[in-house]
Amino acid sequence: MEPKKLKPVFLTAIVMLAVLGVTLYMGSSFSGLLYILLSAVLYFAYRWLMDGKQVVISLIRRGIQKMVVPVIGICIAIITGAVVMIISNYDPVAAYKALFYGAFVRNWHISVLNAAPLMFTGLSVALAFHAGLFNIGAEGQYYIGAMAATYLGLYVNLPPFLSLALIFILASLLASAWNIVPAILKVRTGAHEVITTMMLAHVARYLSPIFIRANGGDPSNSTHAYVTDELPMNNWLPRFNSFIPDANYRLHVGILIAIVVALLVYYLLYYTKIGFEIRAVGENKDAARAQGISIGRNIMIALLIAGFLAGLAGVNQVVGLDHKLYQNLAANYGWNGISVALLAGSHPIGVIFTSLLWGAMDAGGQYMSRVTQTSSSIVEIIKGIMLFLVVAKYLYIYIGNRLKRVRRRRQAAAKEAV
Amino acid sequence: MSRQSEGRVILETRNITKQFPRVLANKDISIKLYENEILSLLGENGAGKSTLMNVLYGLYTPTSGSIRLNDQEVQFHSPKDAIEKGLGMVHQHFMLIDPLTVTENIILGAEPGKGLTIDYRQARKEVVELSEKYGLHIDPDAPIETLSVGIQQRVEILKALYRHARILILDEPTAVLTPQEVEELFQVIDGLRKGGVSIIIITHKLEEVKDISDRVYILRRGEMVGERITADTTTAQLANLMVGRDVVLTVEKKEKKAGDTAVFQIEDLIVLNTKKFPAINGLSLQVKPGEIVGIAGVDGNGQSELAEAIMGLLPVESGKITHRGEDIAALNTKQRINRNISYVPSDRQRFGLVLPMTIGENIMIGYHDRYPNSKGLQLNYTYINAHAQELSESYDIRTPDVQNPAGKLSGGNQQKVILAREFSRDPAFLLVSQPTRGLDVGAIEYIHSQILAMRDNNVAILLISLELEEIFSLSDRILVLYEGKIVKEFKPEETSDKQVGFYMTGGKE
Repeated sequence: MEPKKLKPVFLTAIVMLAVLGVTLYMGSSFSGLLYILLSAVLYFAYRWLMDGKQVVISLIRRGIQKMVVPVIGICIAIITGAVVMIISNYDPVAAYKALFYGAFVRNWHISVLNAAPLMFTGLSVALAFHAGLFNIGAEGQYYIGAMAATYLGLYVNLPPFLSLALIFILASLLASAWNIVPAILKVRTGAHEVITTMMLAHVARYLSPIFIRANGGDPSNSTHAYVTDELPMNNWLPRFNSFIPDANYRLHVGILIAIVVALLVYYLLYYTKIGFEIRAVGENKDAARAQGISIGRNIMIALLIAGFLAGLAGVNQVVGLDHKLYQNLAANYGWNGISVALLAGSHPIGVIFTSLLWGAMDAGGQYMSRVTQTSSSIVEIIKGIMLFLVVAKYLYIYIGNRLKRVRRRRQAAAKEAV
Repeated sequence: MSRQSEGRVILETRNITKQFPRVLANKDISIKLYENEILSLLGENGAGKSTLMNVLYGLYTPTSGSIRLNDQEVQFHSPKDAIEKGLGMVHQHFMLIDPLTVTENIILGAEPGKGLTIDYRQARKEVVELSEKYGLHIDPDAPIETLSVGIQQRVEILKALYRHARILILDEPTAVLTPQEVEELFQVIDGLRKGGVSIIIITHKLEEVKDISDRVYILRRGEMVGERITADTTTAQLANLMVGRDVVLTVEKKEKKAGDTAVFQIEDLIVLNTKKFPAINGLSLQVKPGEIVGIAGVDGNGQSELAEAIMGLLPVESGKITHRGEDIAALNTKQRINRNISYVPSDRQRFGLVLPMTIGENIMIGYHDRYPNSKGLQLNYTYINAHAQELSESYDIRTPDVQNPAGKLSGGNQQKVILAREFSRDPAFLLVSQPTRGLDVGAIEYIHSQILAMRDNNVAILLISLELEEIFSLSDRILVLYEGKIVKEFKPEETSDKQVGFYMTGGKE
């Protein structure tokens, strides 16, 4: 048969396998990995058939090139963590065993639960980075999203699917609106978004205790001290155990929404006019302006979308995991979103992986400290070093140039000797 | 001002050569500075003046040659060495800290006092004494940000004097000053000389050379082309030396008669620059279809403001810009692009290209919101890349793949990407600013031939260039831009580069 006619067959198979694999894997069913692998193999086979061997090889080579820096960074961070553990009298082998077992096997569902909000806030920060903006206030937009979702969740009563869709969209729009003031200030006066969004983040965070008290929180009652009333079950996100019986009862499908949103952000950035303008403004304002692209409009759009994405994180936590709003000011999903975005080099697909990694490190760290009594702050150290090594890519460029210079000098010396 | 009688040679360069990776910036340059002398170093942009001064000031190490100070060979490894030996430099862009006071800025890095303390009273006293000695009047307690540019320049000069400079290098000292301030600066310079300071002024303004200096060296393309006693020469002679060169006509220009009615017209245009100073001050011109109008001028006479005003990147204060019979002065950049006005900016990496984006994306930018580049929200990369591939063949862009980032291309190929984008949009009016800056001969020839092809296609072209050679080889009419106004119009065959150079540098009949 002609390869062209096979195209829809291949594509359908690849997508179906990937969807099935990801769904199973995120629902803690490790057979999902097999389907994901199968989908990848099928994809390469398809490209081979359509475009030839050369394209597949260059595809793989480019992939490896992109992976080199992060992988080296992670390895060095792990080694450094081991050194720290040896110095502080912990057994690194036992600790790492527990860390990885906890992160990726035993408590994988916790990793996934941690990753979902990070993915949303990471995407928020990453998108803003593409416009040359630093949405450091994702934390605030997260709280607005969470508060709005709680409020709507408590009082909206529609058929299940409609109700959830309404909560997701309306609450995130409110979070997006939280960025209107910084956006206008940036466009009109040049006020730096780092300052304005951060200030508003603090406002939003400390609005939450007031909101909680207004919606069920009662400090005089120890069981209901700093938490709102619970949302009706109608407004809860579906959980994995409704279709994968072995899945942990807390594991909800927010992660799947996050992955779909990441794909949408990728599409937006690289395949639409809006994304193109955002990237052009972020990469070179002057050239974009000279081609008639409005800088102000794109700053506006980018900050509003960033706010929407961070808001999704808050909604996801409330309707997915907690079903009420806790006064939990130490969760820091907004701030950690910055790390996740930096680690991914602001690439939306990269954010999927880095947020899972970050979530896994946290889950594994807890398990490790429980099982081996190793302090979980070791994990924080490893995370910090990882981030430093990946972000400080200029260090690699510098080392590379140094090596080149030394080699050249040696060659010159060798030539002179001849 | 008369020339000092043969004094002692205080500073000398012997056969200084400075080779940069791609450019020979100084070739075998020897100059002498006599004690108590005001010396000018005259040359166009890129003639090598600043390189030579940076060598003297210890910022660059010369490839070969030596510097002699008071008849002793010296080597400066950094400006610190040069300052210690009594050299001072006032850069074109001041190095002052705005919120600090005059005194604080002057003593910064050389504070009097013991240990960690600063003796402000002593410092202030010294500053006042210095300013009185040389006639540089300032308020020692005023914060820098409250002072005018002319006064800030005085502070820079005092900074050098405070460090006991006996030789002062002034880099384009009048570039940022008003005529009034220039007058005051000249008085200050005279006062410095009376106080025993020797001065080197780097400039490309002939009038200044005549007004203030005793002697002048003229540099052209990194080489020394002459030395004159100012009193014994004329500005015309100096202009001749400065810009005079063999005009190499590399591309053939066909005879062509321009159309009758102007496509593009500017009337009494006034444009303020970012400092609210009228950089374009009552400029009028018109361009007819099928002609190239060349704007000749020394850098900083309003070229970039003119280009930006035409493209809607800088607001118009007053005046009219007419394109095909309609006033476009109030339109935004996008609306102007949509009227098929094409623009090749002078700084291709800053205004022309988004370097990290692909060649294909750089070719469609500006038209990214129209069919077939996009449909609805979605960009059509299949078309974008195929179109870019087509253009890269017809415009000779040498790249293995149009999906490579534009930043990976050489300068010449980057410029061809911009030409491909702008020329393929079928403009009626084309604004080209410095199209060949920093390119090699082959690329220059190609770009010139493409611009001429557009003219032969009846496009109205406005060419802004700092290269007289380029103006002469392309233009059908030459307009001389000086201080934001067109001061003279020539036909290229009826004039010489010397004559144009004379008007470019502010010469009057």
